[in-house]
Amino acid sequence: MTHGHHHPPQPLSPEEAANQRIVEVLASKLRRRQVVGSRAAALETLLVLRQVIAKARFWNIDQLVAIIRAVGRRLVDAQPNEHAVGNTVRKVLHHIREEYHTASKGADTTATSKNYSIAKFVLQGQPRKHVTTQRSETKATLKENDAEDPDSFARGLKPVLMEAIQDVLDELETVYDNVSKNAKDHIHSDEIILTIGMSKTVEAFLKAAAHSRKYTVIVAETAHRYGGREMAKSLSSTGISTFLVPDSSIYALMSRVNKVILGAHAILANGGMFAITGSLLAVTAARAHSTPVVVCAGQFKLTPLWNLYHEYGALDFGDPSKVLGFNEGDLVDKVDVVNPYYDYVRPELIDAFITNDGDHPPSSVYRLLKETYDDEDNEL
Amino acid sequence: MSPHESSDPIPSPTKETSSKGGSTPHQRQQGGSGAGGSQGGDENKASGSSAPAQKSMTKAERRELQEKQRAAKAAAKQPGAAPAAKDKEGGGGKGKGAREAGSTHTQNRASISGPGESSSSRLAGRDVAGDAGISKAGPPGDDPIRGSRIFAHFGLPKPVGNIKGDIHPAIIKLGLLFSEFKICGSNARCIATLTAFKTVIQDYTTPAHSTLSRHLMTHLSPQITHLVSARPMSTTMGNAIRQLKLEISGSDIDLPEQDAKDTLCSKIDDYIRDRIIIADEVIQDLAGKKIKDGDVILTYARSSVVEKVLLSAHEEGKRFSVIVVDSRPLLEGKYLLRKLTTCQPPIPCTYTLLPALPSVITEVNMVLLGAHALCSNGAVYSRAGTALVAMLAKNHNIPVVVCCETYKFNDTVILDGFSKNELAPKDISNISKDSQTPLLTPNLEILNPLYDLTPPTCITAVVTEVGLIPPNSISSIPLALGKTSL
Repeated sequence: MTHGHHHPPQPLSPEEAANQRIVEVLASKLRRRQVVGSRAAALETLLVLRQVIAKARFWNIDQLVAIIRAVGRRLVDAQPNEHAVGNTVRKVLHHIREEYHTASKGADTTATSKNYSIAKFVLQGQPRKHVTTQRSETKATLKENDAEDPDSFARGLKPVLMEAIQDVLDELETVYDNVSKNAKDHIHSDEIILTIGMSKTVEAFLKAAAHSRKYTVIVAETAHRYGGREMAKSLSSTGISTFLVPDSSIYALMSRVNKVILGAHAILANGGMFAITGSLLAVTAARAHSTPVVVCAGQFKLTPLWNLYHEYGALDFGDPSKVLGFNEGDLVDKVDVVNPYYDYVRPELIDAFITNDGDHPPSSVYRLLKETYDDEDNEL
Repeated sequence: MSPHESSDPIPSPTKETSSKGGSTPHQRQQGGSGAGGSQGGDENKASGSSAPAQKSMTKAERRELQEKQRAAKAAAKQPGAAPAAKDKEGGGGKGKGAREAGSTHTQNRASISGPGESSSSRLAGRDVAGDAGISKAGPPGDDPIRGSRIFAHFGLPKPVGNIKGDIHPAIIKLGLLFSEFKICGSNARCIATLTAFKTVIQDYTTPAHSTLSRHLMTHLSPQITHLVSARPMSTTMGNAIRQLKLEISGSDIDLPEQDAKDTLCSKIDDYIRDRIIIADEVIQDLAGKKIKDGDVILTYARSSVVEKVLLSAHEEGKRFSVIVVDSRPLLEGKYLLRKLTTCQPPIPCTYTLLPALPSVITEVNMVLLGAHALCSNGAVYSRAGTALVAMLAKNHNIPVVVCCETYKFNDTVILDGFSKNELAPKDISNISKDSQTPLLTPNLEILNPLYDLTPPTCITAVVTEVGLIPPNSISSIPLALGKTSL
């Protein structure tokens, strides 16, 4: 870091942090939808945060949190519908506070459960906690706002922060493997699985299950993006017996389907989810046939949000020309075209979430949220 | 049948029936025609008897035989509708994807055709072909094979190959139009079929030593088989053909041939007028009454009846908007959209694809749907996707109104869209030309089912030409119309 010579040793202001070039680059990529998929967005966000933290000057924890929040706000505003961005920021903030508490209080880690809540109470036995406690042994003394050497706080905290971020990165990188590690327990032989569109998580899950089970997948191609075609191609190339069908036949085929396995765009606080358009239709048809609905998703999709607005999923609309192209001539001028990206699926329509950290019913999503993020970060 | 023959035996049938006594008018008619045929044989022994074996039977036996043959023929012609399990297996060969299908149905075709064969042997030949297709399909227990076996019974339209037998050019043309989906929709297909049959009937001459009422159907059967080979028969066609058969077998053998043909053609015209055209007009009125100013009407794909309802309500001056929901494989909604937006003033329309349906359903006041057929349990067999629309509307407490003429009624019960279906051929299924269209690998198959079944619980009312009825009362309609059959 060379800028120490050019600048007076002042902490980085949140505005400056948010206007950094790397933040700017990612924000514009998100805005232009050049980062596609929630995992990619989460990864990019995390890498940017890591760089921001590595560069940042701060004298106390509040300054650091303010910097991260400012960066987070900037990225979230760039693409409010990519919930994984905000979630990653929240998760990093949560880790920062956790590391700060363990570092500043030394080995006295049990003190973190000072503010009593059922969530924290349930959390006591969680393995994730043990990992953080072991690491914190190294640092015993951290002094905030040290008048003689204000950077000593950052120097002391940064190594553990980097480790914590590495943990989050590892989690993101292994998310597909961890979601699909129990796949064979969920799919048994000769089942017929229905899935829609293209989801990397579901793809990995189904492929993992195919190692030990022979089963059939029906993929609905899911207009307007027709991601199902790519999905069907990928699944069949690994030897899974695959059928590609149009969305219209979901109801007709549902009577033979044993399980519906879907991906999610974001899991919401009430246990519902935003998912690709077509999900609600498939899930409702499954409910009409009493077919179980299973959602595969990494925990980075857990979002402390409620959909209190309307049926237009995440209020995110795609290009109408994909639905009614300009080759239709003057029809385009006369007709309104609705082309939303996402559906909102209510929690009562989902039977289980299979995540990289265990399987959960929609009713326990709120607990996972309390465990993963700090309440104060719900609004960045 | 020569004019001499047809005019000669007038007194004899009545004589014969009266001598036996106790026959109902219906029986008398049938017995009369049967007796007439043999009577002709009696009187013209020099020219050979028409049915020496039948002659020794009693009338009841003969009638039974006729019924049996008719049933067998119907079974042979409606592979989807036939309840016989072996028939479904026969279809198995066809659904096996293009590779096997190509070879199997040439077999099928070879065994089906041949107008001389009796219908029962035709059925058997089909069975053999189907079994051959299945055994040919590869080692059992292999997953892709199992997969396709699940869908094996779905009827797949076959490329119209070589024409076997004496097929009328109008039928050949119609077959091509059907197989390329140029004529699509059950009303259009029924009208086109009946119109083509009129031409066939007019061009038909009864061979010597036979009567029109007994021979015409054997002439029509290969024509029907040809149409079915182009695309599985629709329920409407089945009902109309059944009615036509009834008219043919009931046609007066004493009429001069041209008169008999004209009578049949006018009967066909009557059927089209009464059961389709006028029925549609009544449905327009009845369903139109349910549309109010300011309503948002949602419809799926394209139904000719729904289109008429919307246009006529608009013409009456009602101001409403329409949401057209559409889906692959056929994307028929675009045609409807074009119709609705070209009238003056254009109807305000919103167009969306099926997955986006939940986003628009909340603002809808009524869902108007068409039907391909209506089962006696009130389930609606219609374009694939209809069930999804009806289900979602039901979940949102939006009335689902199905417009359906009574001639689409089907006296069977279908329980799900899986048991009877038809696959769209790949070349018309609108797979866009973009590069991500998957290539066929051994494990991947593209299926485009054309129909699904909407359970009666998702339907609020069915608009027919005899009024609005709840779906569970469908079975009472044919009886109310005074019919013992549809």
